[in-house]
Amino acid sequence: MLKQLSTHIIQHLLAQNEWTAPMLQPFASQSVQLNFVLLKTSLVILENGSLSIAGETNLPDATITIPPSLLLRLIAKDESAKLQIKVDGDTHLATVLAKVLSHVRWDYEDDLSKLTGDVSASKIGEFTRQTASTVKDTATNLAEMLSEYWQEEKPLLAKKRHVEKFNTEVDTLRADVERMEKRLNKLTKKVSSTSDLNNPVS
Amino acid sequence: MNNMTTEHNTHFGFKTVAESEKAKKVADVFHSVASKYDLMNDVMSAGMHRGWKRFAVSISGVDRGDKVLDIAGGSGDLSKLFAQKVGAEGQVILTDINASMLGVGRDRMLDAGLNVPALQCDAEKLPFPDNYFDCVIVAFGLRNMTHKDRALAEMQRVLKVGGRLLVLEFSKVWQPLSKAYDVYSFKLLPLMGKLLAKDAESYQYLAESIRMHPDQETLKQMMIEAGLSKVDYYNLSAGVVALHKGYKT
Repeated sequence: MLKQLSTHIIQHLLAQNEWTAPMLQPFASQSVQLNFVLLKTSLVILENGSLSIAGETNLPDATITIPPSLLLRLIAKDESAKLQIKVDGDTHLATVLAKVLSHVRWDYEDDLSKLTGDVSASKIGEFTRQTASTVKDTATNLAEMLSEYWQEEKPLLAKKRHVEKFNTEVDTLRADVERMEKRLNKLTKKVSSTSDLNNPVS
Repeated sequence: MNNMTTEHNTHFGFKTVAESEKAKKVADVFHSVASKYDLMNDVMSAGMHRGWKRFAVSISGVDRGDKVLDIAGGSGDLSKLFAQKVGAEGQVILTDINASMLGVGRDRMLDAGLNVPALQCDAEKLPFPDNYFDCVIVAFGLRNMTHKDRALAEMQRVLKVGGRLLVLEFSKVWQPLSKAYDVYSFKLLPLMGKLLAKDAESYQYLAESIRMHPDQETLKQMMIEAGLSKVDYYNLSAGVVALHKGYKT
């Protein structure tokens, strides 16, 4: 039941995003397993460029594993987080599918228009977008205000430039320690070889 | 001598009959149930057979312009769905070995204004060229075929390379539900057949033939032996029905 429903939702979304079919069609019959926290599911690419949930005995051609620690960074659209997604098997296939899944957008106005008509759907869509934008702006302002207060008025948070400076100092220290370690090793070898020469074994 | 006799026998529900008799007996069952087949399907499956068929169509990958063969298509539910998918530039052919069932399907296609040819033929000897169809589907028909291996080989033959065979069929239900399913199949189903279609025997056969049909893994193996690859299956409604999909490569 869940597979039927999930397949229906995925196919509905892809039908709304017609640009996805030509990208997926060259990979028809191949499948990709997605591992994300408790969610483990495989998607099969169909000949018409759509997707379905795989059956009980499917063997994936590629696997995409997203560690739970990346969740917040991915939501915040941190591009560097994407580099830490683990891909096994056919990487070209996995990359194309990941690109499709990350760019698919739900055209909720189109679905709503079938229930309420075009004009009402457009108005509701506009209202939703404005509300979402207001909520996002308010949240950003609040976060920036609190951040400023805790950095300037009552310092609890470190400033970005201080953190960067600290990181640079740590990097320099690490490099110095590595250099010193190498120098020590070199000296130790030199001392041991000198003592071998002074006390030759007969 | 006994072995030779066994080789020429087959199952008809729980009974063992000569191979030559099975087709006639199955035909009698479907002649008998044809007029009320859809009503009974709705009652027996609580309407779920429509969802199972829609799911089969959704994973078929069939696109506009494709050629689809609907084997044992009977009342034409699937042909109708596929005809909408392939559009005017595609082709769907509805076939059934049973004239009564095919008649119901043909009339329904005509009533819906769909150009779907209806052809009476045996799935074990398909009258189509090699490598012709993009998709072949058999829904609730394979279990009634005398030589399932031959039928699967024929379906594989008429598929194009890259074509898909879909088999939607009753299968082995999830173990914890098997007792309840037995009661339903052998007590309620014949009773419903008696009350609604005035034909308890035919529905008793339907229940028995489901039990004699290969389970999910066995059917998967049969499809592989018939030359299909990447065979996978979906358990629908806790395994009451399984949908197998295989590719010709």
